Parts: sequence; C-alpha cells; structure tokens
Amino acid sequence: MKQPLLPRLLFGAFVGLVLIYLILPLLIIVPMSFSATRFLTFPPPALSLRWYAEYFGNPNWMQATRMSALIGLLTVIVATPLGTAAAYAISNSQTKLMRSLHMMLMLPLIVPIIIIAIGIFFIYAKLGLIQTLTGLVLANVMLGLPYVITSVVAGLQSFDKTQEMVARSLGMNRFRAFLTVTLPQIKASVFAGGIFAFISAIDETIIALFVSGGQYQTLTKRMFTALRDEIDPTIASISTLLTAASFILVLLATSGQKRAA
Amino acid sequence: MPQRRLTFRTACATAGLSLALLSPLSAQAAEQIMFVSQGGAYQKAQTIAILDPSAKKLGITINQDSVPDAWPIMRSQVATGKPSWDVVDVATNFCLRGGEQGILEKLDFSKIPNAAAMPAEYRSDYSVAYEFYSSVMGYSLKKFPDAATAPKTWADFWDVKKFPGRRSLRNNPLATLEAALMADGVPADKLYPLDVDRAFKKLEEIKPHITVWWTSGAQSAQLLNDGEVDMVMAWNGRISALTKEGAKVAYTYNQGILQSTSLCVLKGAPNLPTAIKFLNEAVDPVHQANLPLHIDYGPANPKAYDTGVIPAARVGELPSAPANAKVQALMSYAWWTSAAGEAAEKRWLSFAQK
Amino acid sequence: MSVIDPSLRYRRREQGLMLLLASPAVIVIVALVVIPVGWLMTQSVYDNGFTLEHYRRIFSEDIYWRSFTLTFRIALMVTVLTLILGYPVAYAAAHVKRPWDVLILSFVILPFWTSVLVRAYAWLVLLQRTGVTNQMLERFGLISEPLALVHNELGTVIATVHILLPFMVLPLYSTMQKIPRELMLAGASLGGGPLHTFLRVFLPLSLPGVVAGLTLVFVLTLGFYITPELLGGGRTIMISMVVSRNVELYNQWGAASAVGVVLLVAVIAVFALVGRIIPLDKMLGQK
Repeated sequence: MKQPLLPRLLFGAFVGLVLIYLILPLLIIVPMSFSATRFLTFPPPALSLRWYAEYFGNPNWMQATRMSALIGLLTVIVATPLGTAAAYAISNSQTKLMRSLHMMLMLPLIVPIIIIAIGIFFIYAKLGLIQTLTGLVLANVMLGLPYVITSVVAGLQSFDKTQEMVARSLGMNRFRAFLTVTLPQIKASVFAGGIFAFISAIDETIIALFVSGGQYQTLTKRMFTALRDEIDPTIASISTLLTAASFILVLLATSGQKRAA
Repeated sequence: MPQRRLTFRTACATAGLSLALLSPLSAQAAEQIMFVSQGGAYQKAQTIAILDPSAKKLGITINQDSVPDAWPIMRSQVATGKPSWDVVDVATNFCLRGGEQGILEKLDFSKIPNAAAMPAEYRSDYSVAYEFYSSVMGYSLKKFPDAATAPKTWADFWDVKKFPGRRSLRNNPLATLEAALMADGVPADKLYPLDVDRAFKKLEEIKPHITVWWTSGAQSAQLLNDGEVDMVMAWNGRISALTKEGAKVAYTYNQGILQSTSLCVLKGAPNLPTAIKFLNEAVDPVHQANLPLHIDYGPANPKAYDTGVIPAARVGELPSAPANAKVQALMSYAWWTSAAGEAAEKRWLSFAQK
Repeated sequence: MSVIDPSLRYRRREQGLMLLLASPAVIVIVALVVIPVGWLMTQSVYDNGFTLEHYRRIFSEDIYWRSFTLTFRIALMVTVLTLILGYPVAYAAAHVKRPWDVLILSFVILPFWTSVLVRAYAWLVLLQRTGVTNQMLERFGLISEPLALVHNELGTVIATVHILLPFMVLPLYSTMQKIPRELMLAGASLGGGPLHTFLRVFLPLSLPGVVAGLTLVFVLTLGFYITPELLGGGRTIMISMVVSRNVELYNQWGAASAVGVVLLVAVIAVFALVGRIIPLDKMLGQK
C-alpha cells in the first residue's frame, strides 16, 4: 500500500516532533546537571560536577535514596505475592463476588491519589503510622497491587489451566502444582508486575508528602522539598543518574536478549 | 513478547541495584533531639553557627529534618500522641497559634536563662524568637541600573507607569497585606490592626501586573535571577544570596517587613529535657552572633550585637540591625494569630484564584 | 435431609480457597482505600452531627466552583491534546518496521523513568521568559516579546500533556496492533483511497483504544497536583490543591472531604459512563 510521499513526510515530521516533545525535558536535565551555576540558566555557562558531588556528599540525599530503595524493595516483596495470589483467585473464579473484589482491587488506580493521601494521612495519624517504614511500605503496597494483579491476570489468561490440573491429578498438592507448573510459565508477568510496583513506589510523591519525614523520608519527598528550598541542579543530577541507570539496564537487557536469541 | 522480557530483566537488575544501595541506618547516640527547620542555605548556616556548637557544648546529638511547611505536620504529630519531633523552628505565628491550640509545651523560662534575658516581646509562653528576616523589595539591576531611579517604596512597586516591568508577590497574605497598606500610604508604625478590606482593595489594583505569585523562597530567587520578573517581594537572604552568585539584582530594606521565626517544643516531645537544654543554647548570644556570619539573617537575641563576634560592616547588612530595623515595619504576629488575622488568611485563597 | 452434590461441594471449597487467596490483597485495599475514603465521606457530612453545610459551601462559594471549572477545563484540554498528539504516534508505532517501532515506544516510555518533579523543573527551564523556547522563537524572529508560557494555565497544560501522553499512546498502540493489516488492504482493494480506508476501516476499529486512552487521561488529569502546584504560577488552583490546602493550612477536614467526595463522584461517573462501552478491567489493564 503505497501512499503519496508528501502526506507521509508530513505525518513523519509530526510524529518526530511529538517524540522530541516527549524527550525534551530529558535533553534539558542532563546538561543542566553538569552546570557550574546554581540557577536555571540554559545552556549552562560552564560545566562542573558540583551537583553530583552535592548529591553524593550529602548524607541527607544518601539517606533518602537508601530509604526509597528500601521502600521499593519491601513493596515488591509484599505486593508481588499478595497480588499474584489475588490474580490467581480472580482468574480461577468466575463468581460475581470475585468480580466485584477485582474491581475493588483496582480502586487505587481509580480514586484520585490526593483523596487516598489525605484519608491515609488521617488514619495513620490515629494509628501512629506517620513517618514509619511500615506505613510507607503499606501505602506503596496498596498502590502497587493493581499493577501486579493486572499483569498476572493477563499472564494467566494465556496460560492453559489444564496443565496445573494434570499436575494435581498426578498427586501434587495445589501449592506445589502452582509453584512447579504455573509459576514458571507466568513468571515474566509476575516480574513485570513487580517491577511496576517498584517503579510506582520509587516515584510516589503525594502520599509521601503527607506521611513521610524524619528518618523515613523518601527521595521524592526530599526532591519536592529541595525544589522549594533551593532551585539548584542537584535534582537534575539525581534524575540524570536514575535515568542513566535505567537506560543502561535496558541496553544490557536488550543485548542479553539478542545473544539469547 | 520481547517487551515483557525486557522489563523482566530490568526488574532483576534494578532489584540488584537497590540491594547494593541498602545499608544499615545510622546509629543513635544516648542523648539526642530531633530539630526541624526549613532547609536550604538557611538550615546549613544554622547547622554551622548554632546546631553543631550547641551539640558539642551539651554533648548531645542533634538530628535534623527540614520541612518548608511544618505547621500541618506539627499538628498531626501531636495528634498521634507520639510526636517524633522535639524542637521546631517555624514562623512565629505558628508558634503562637500552636500555643493557643495546645500542641506545644509551655516553656519554663527559669530553665532557659538566655531566653529569659531577651526582651519580653521576643518570646511567648510557648516560644522564643530564633532569628530575624525581612520581606523586602528586590529588583533587577538590568531593568533599573540607576540607584537614583530604582524603586524604593511599595508605592513605587504599585506604580506601574513610572516603574514598568513584571512583578511577583508571595502567594501568602503575611507581609503582602502590610506592603499593600504601605503602598496605600499607611505609615509603617501604624499598620496594626490591619485594615484588611483596604489592603485587598489595593492588591486588586496590582493584581493584573503580577506575573507569578510565588510559593517558595527558592522560587522567588529563581524568578528574579532568571529575569522572569523585574521586581519581587522576597526574603532578604534570598536576594543577597543571588548577589553573592554575581546576579544583577538589588534590594532595599526601606519599608521591609521585619519577621521572625521562633523555636517551640511539641507537646509530648520525646526528649523534652534535652530539648529545653538545647533551646537555651540556641539563643546563647555567641551562637546567635555566629548565625549572621553564615547567612544574611539577624540574631534574635539582641545581646549578640554586644559579643563583638559580628564585624561592624556586617551589622549594617542585617535586617534586625538597629539602623535597618528603623526603616522597616515590625510584623505583629499577635494580630495574625487573632481571629481577624485568620479570617484574612482564608480570604487570601479566594483572592489569589480570581 | 439433604444430599449435597459432590461437585457442588468441590466448587464451594474451591471458591472458598479462592476467596482466601484474594483476601490479603483485599484487606490491604480495604484498610488503605475503602476505610480512608469511607471516613472522608462521613467527614464530609459531619460537623457535630449530620450536616450538608460543607456541600452547600462548596457549591455556593466561588473558590470551589472556580476550581472545579478550571480543573474540568484543563482536563478537557489535556485529553484532546493527548489524543491529537498521541494517535499519530501510536499509529506510526503500530505500522513501522522492526527497529523503528521499538525506538518510538522507547521514546514514549523513557519519560516514565524521569520523576514528575524533575520534569516540572525541566519545563520551567524550557518555558520561562528567558527560557530555551522563548530564546529560540526570538532568534528566528517569530516573536518580538517573550511569550508567557509558564506560571499559568498554559504551562500546566504543556507539562500535564507531557506526563499523560504515554497513557494515551500505550492503549492506542495495543489496540492498533491487533487490527489485522489485511483489513486495510481489503479496504484499499475495494477502491477506497488511503484516507477513505483509514476513516472507514481503521479508525472505527481503533475506537476502543481511543476511549480507554481518553478516559484514563481525563480522570488522571482531574486528580493532578504536582504540576499545577509547581508550574501554575499560584493562580492555577486545581481541585487537588484545594483539598490539600484545606487540610494543611486550615485544618478543615469537612470542607476538604466534601471537595474530595465531589471529585471522586465525578471520576466514578466518568468510569461508569465509559464502563458501558468497554469493561473497566480491560481499560485499566491496558496501562
């Protein structure tokens, strides 16, 4: 199906512009992170590693980074099994009750986050969970569950359930049958769900604004505070590091894939 | 699905990375407090000038947190019954309001001799003044290079014909209403009780010319530095920090609004006795005199000026120095914590939005 | 005396087990979403006894009213813009050859890795008066005075569209990918021009993706908080900001809750309306 050249060119140009728009902030942040001045001057008048030193040399930033990583990790550890179990139940049961439970489990994606945030803020205040690791991890588990469930439900859809039945008829108990037969085949979905939960926990800001603080301060909360304290390029360098890390990981992953193929 | 495989691997790698980042949280010393201030250059300066020396002298550990808007958290911390903060450095009106609402410890000034020696108007039953800063008018030297023709008063700020340019005010009624009234001709020493209706009426006049209503100190500095606005009401330390970085900006103390932050202790603070000991050290004249060596904010304890620690040239630059205080208005936090003050604060939201 | 059908008993046990498996997740959601939101709902009608005062206030005081209209206007603008920008991108990703589709999709996904906060900061650098965009436009002689691109509604919209564009492109892409190429070819072979084929064959088939994308973007915009806070110039006060301000500054839980409940009802109404066209789980699943 050959189309005339001009419309195709115009179309390509439009798509190209939209893609540039998408990565434009990134194109700004990376050079800014090497800026030698404190202010938002672009392009930076001189280059330096000042803001990277500021990040690595500041125990507060390091503490917040460790805290976010810890929260992300604990969130994954809790949310992944919980979500996988729920997803298994959802795809194995067609009852009306289960369908409404499924809907309920999707609530964190539906209810505007600010509403959840102030609700949690109040409940936590009553329970003494403000500025605690438990409180932060629980909130992020709640936010991460829909991702795990959605991903695993999708994975289970393409999985042939009779395989598990066969394993059970051969005398395996259900749990073992799940572990040895089902799980290996849906592990990609489970991991995808887990990684989404991780990302969502690392990036979560609004609930953290209300309930994190002190020793239990997340990286995003500190970044938000920093933007109010001093608008300087430290957060540009943090963001560059995070993006670079993920970019390298993606590259490694793709090259690994090529070798495997 | 190649994409899914990709995320799977990314997941493993990311998890590995985060494991590497984990390490045990810092160990804790025997006697300690959690001190909360507002962050940024200000918190760094007081760490060097006041917190570190106090910690050393008392042999305690001062843990720090920084929160630009401490007030809601102070309240929620006390509401839980188990606050994790001890001492908070916050705008004085919040200390007064906190005292009224019963979320602060009543201070026994016999245990805080340094504070007891300060002028009575610098303390309340629940708080003691910690440092002075000023909401001043800053402007761009690129726009107004000549000192003789630069804006000097709030009336000038309001005069868009004589001083064309883009303007910014704080998205907050405190100090802004005072500036509006001074622009309307009210003398600096006759501001209180504020004529709120008159102030808002005057603000309506300037509103179309306000480019940005800033919400954080960092933002006010960035706006002026980047040429986003030509005139701004900002905290003196923010603008002087810009000039030190070589920015072409200036400010005047004339008709500035002199404000203070105070220290207060949360009700049920986990380390109350240590917190009180710290309070006394924090307003020690020598420690107080150290502060302006690191940032352009003035000591709250007037005795700091007698210590000889602050060089004479430096004194002239500080907002609370007698010569500068004379040309400014002193904010009445008592008025802002009154019913009229709180009503004015609520009216602000509706004003800003229109 | 009753005889229980063994298969029925098995089914019952099976269902009990499934409920048991789902229960930990359900408990988390109940504790952290249902109870807090339920509590907000009671707060919104409570002030020393049942009252509708908070609702009366938010419908009569213009602060709230203005915020609601502003929020819906922004949501509408953002939704339309993401569709206009996102549809061609998704179309291209679904139709170009191998390395290119990956490239396009990685451009779409890459911003996800950058925190929303940092992106707001980047837009500040890009859009302010002396920012990159204004400098470029001035250099090319397109403008003589810098444009006010940020610290207002426009800046908020530009940054919000940026954040939500992937939520439009991804559902569109996954729908378009499933549209068989042969259908297009068939349409073309029946004598229709490319545009005709697109309008008659492709567009209708891509509609589920369009609806999913529109709904997600619209609803997510309604709850936006950080972008208007940092880029709105203090004037762009969206509903989320009203909620948080009522809680943080004024300790007015009743008013905050009532505003939150109205926002929630709006969101649920949108989902319910759209849910008649495509099932909710499908819509959210495509994220």
